[in-house]
Amino acid sequence: MSAYLRLAGVNKTFGSFTALGHIDLEVEKGEFVTFLGPSGSGKTTTLMVIAGFEQATKGEITVADQSLAHLAPQERNIGIVFQNYALFPHKTAAENVYFPLQMRKVGKKEGMRKAEEMLELVGLAGFAHRLPKELSGGQQQRVALARALVFEPDLLLLDEPLGALDKNLREQMQIEIKRIQKRLGVTTIFVTHDQTEAMSMSDRIVVFSNGAIEQAAAPLDIYHRPATRFVADFIGESNLLEATITDAASGKAQSPVLGEVTCGAEGLPPLTDGQAVTLLIRPEHLKLSREPKEGRQNAQMVIETIVNYGDNAVVIGHAGDQQIRVRVPGADVVILKEGDSCHFSWTADAVFVLDK
Amino acid sequence: MNTLMRWIGIAVVIFIAAPLVIVVPMSFSTAASLQFPPPGYSWGYYQQFFSDPSWLRPAWNSIYIATMNTLLTMALVVPATFALVRHKFWGKSFANLMMMMPMAVPHIVMAVGYYSYFGELKLVHSKLGVILAHTCLSVPITFLVLSANLKGFDLTLERAARSLGATPGQVFRHITLPILKPGLAISALFAFIQSFDETVVAIFISGRDAETLPRKMFDSIREEADPVIAVISTLLFAVVFAGLIAPSLIKGLRRMAKGTPSK
Amino acid sequence: MGLSLSALAERKTLWPWLLLAPLTIYLALFFLVPLVEVALMSVTEPRPGLANYEKVLTGSLYRKVFLNTFGTALLVTLCCLLVGYPLAYLMSTVSKRAAMGILLLITMSFWTSFLVRTYAWMVLLGNNGPVVWLMQTLGIAEPPPLLFTRFSSTLAMVHILAPYMIMNIYTVMQKIDPSLIRSAESMGAYGKSLFRHIYLPLTAPGIANGSVLVFVICLGFYVTPVLLGSPREQMAAGLIGNQIEQFLAFGLGSAMSIVLLVVTLVILGIYHRRFGLDKLYG
Repeated sequence: MSAYLRLAGVNKTFGSFTALGHIDLEVEKGEFVTFLGPSGSGKTTTLMVIAGFEQATKGEITVADQSLAHLAPQERNIGIVFQNYALFPHKTAAENVYFPLQMRKVGKKEGMRKAEEMLELVGLAGFAHRLPKELSGGQQQRVALARALVFEPDLLLLDEPLGALDKNLREQMQIEIKRIQKRLGVTTIFVTHDQTEAMSMSDRIVVFSNGAIEQAAAPLDIYHRPATRFVADFIGESNLLEATITDAASGKAQSPVLGEVTCGAEGLPPLTDGQAVTLLIRPEHLKLSREPKEGRQNAQMVIETIVNYGDNAVVIGHAGDQQIRVRVPGADVVILKEGDSCHFSWTADAVFVLDK
Repeated sequence: MNTLMRWIGIAVVIFIAAPLVIVVPMSFSTAASLQFPPPGYSWGYYQQFFSDPSWLRPAWNSIYIATMNTLLTMALVVPATFALVRHKFWGKSFANLMMMMPMAVPHIVMAVGYYSYFGELKLVHSKLGVILAHTCLSVPITFLVLSANLKGFDLTLERAARSLGATPGQVFRHITLPILKPGLAISALFAFIQSFDETVVAIFISGRDAETLPRKMFDSIREEADPVIAVISTLLFAVVFAGLIAPSLIKGLRRMAKGTPSK
Repeated sequence: MGLSLSALAERKTLWPWLLLAPLTIYLALFFLVPLVEVALMSVTEPRPGLANYEKVLTGSLYRKVFLNTFGTALLVTLCCLLVGYPLAYLMSTVSKRAAMGILLLITMSFWTSFLVRTYAWMVLLGNNGPVVWLMQTLGIAEPPPLLFTRFSSTLAMVHILAPYMIMNIYTVMQKIDPSLIRSAESMGAYGKSLFRHIYLPLTAPGIANGSVLVFVICLGFYVTPVLLGSPREQMAAGLIGNQIEQFLAFGLGSAMSIVLLVVTLVILGIYHRRFGLDKLYG
């Protein structure tokens, strides 16, 4: 399948400030892609360039091989859900949803019927004649979604749409958005800085940092095989340790903290002897014990803090100058004490090697 | 400290309310001059006001001038406010200051200027002259009210409308204008009142032919203290009172119509 | 109008100039030109030279009028403050309903034409008015003349301008976080010291705004002093009016106007430097 949305060498500068370096990205039809990154990383700027509210300084954007370059925002047929929903305060929910149809010369009767159908799809049957201010945050969100979808856009762009909702509602809306997107099969780009949101919803995650794409891959690949140190650090919790490759062939490295380490995780980059690397071990892949564990690689640390989450806990300790985080089942915590010295252990396939 | 401040505060409330209240009974008085308490009550002075062309003409002049002033002011100020609130350009802070200047110049100074300048242009004693002068004086307040409204306008609404297929012209007609309507109405009201109440410039340039209500009132108070003024004062006061009470009344009626009890 | 505003907002474009042009031309023609004319008349009427300014700045009559104007403006500002501060304080301490009521009263007063309010004071203080009637009822056989004195014009001006002061102070008072006052009290500040160290500094911007506004309006006040004041103690605006209307002394009237304008602009200019003019009337 060929790419539906294609960004080729998109660059955006404001005076001497580079907002977007050089963005290359291909999105397939029907795909749900999330732009993830800290604020100011370029994800929203990229979205605005696609929508046509910002002009790219260089590069090209195509949808179904048609260039968007000379199309004004209203000619692009792209549905957008804004961070604050941007519902028109003087129009009812149904009138809001009817608006894009009205602009497309759909008659009032036909258009309002379609609008009400769409509201039903997002679970707002019966709220059609309320004004936005008479709706709750979650309901406003649904109206915004219905409005962005009713005209069967080629693309759906969501700009941090869940940021203003509380946690329970947010999870509910995540499921809802995903359900509607699947049902309509609309190609979707979702912008967020919340990694759990990105993990749970996306077919693919694009991680942004400093106006450039760090990595674009499926959620689990991003988690287990981060392409850069930034991604490893930004996604999930991580232990990042400096090391030097001693034997590239057998995947052996020497770390000042861990001693000799065998690296076994899949998808290792090509290594050479003497290369300086960063080792990534996720906290849940470490185990704690009083004595070194047979059949695993071991090192020692002193427990500093224990943070309890109920079903599990994070034990933070020091091995030399290095902070180590270990996630343990909640029941195991009772035997641990702050100040205790203990061993932590891992297996070769938990160690992932990153270029320094 | 607190109790002292409170008592002074209550005294001030009376001080502010008293002059507003006093004109009402006076307007119904039967006395030929200002006499308190009135010896009797009647509609006499109201009849006199509504049948006397020397009072009605200035009243109509004022309404006409204020209306034209409002139209002209809005036509000039609305585009300028859009430019100043939504654009960044060289000389913007100067332009902002320019909008405020007519407020900083004492009206008596402007009156002297118009008296001589409009004399040369043959605009004294004409309604057009008063309208042109009042428009300058209405600019600052209209600009202030409108720009406060425009600053509060969420630009994402326009972006959203564009993304939904509206051309810039359609965005303005369907989104920007309807949402700004209350703000436009209020700034127009300010322009109207500014002109309707303006006295000093009108005294100097309106003459007999374009005499405004405030000018007529001023002359009348200065010369004879005609009790009809109490009638006009009561009527003007009633308009203000109705204007301030009306919004909450309408709100209450709407609630009743909807069947939801008001708290 | 308003075309693709967001897209144009930050780019170099002719739009803002086009939108501003009509108003700019209008103000140049009907605001600036008359002002320049006043300035010109002040140095050309009846003959070229600075004679008018010499007279205005050194003549004893004019000096007296300007001093009187300043004195009255200062007095009115002070009275407005003394009247306005306690009322604003009352409004911020009473129940919301009562505060709304007072606010309604002040708004009503503000919107009522100042001619009406001037007339009302004429009624109140007149020879057959309620104040005299009250005094007589209380046994004062021969009340002093109240109308057409400095007292009556000052009182009416205070009444007319107090809403400006009250609104300015009330706006800042409303924004004071009540927890700030509670925490000050918890640290041992109460009564006078609470007022001096917490309340007064926090409301100072409102006091400054209100005072400048009242003072400046008062400097150029025409109607009320002319109608209610003593003819022997004229204020600047009234004298300017006389020069023009009665004596046709355009040169002298213009010179006085320019002096009044310069003083007003200097005060507003200093204020603008420190706070910004738009805040003054906001």
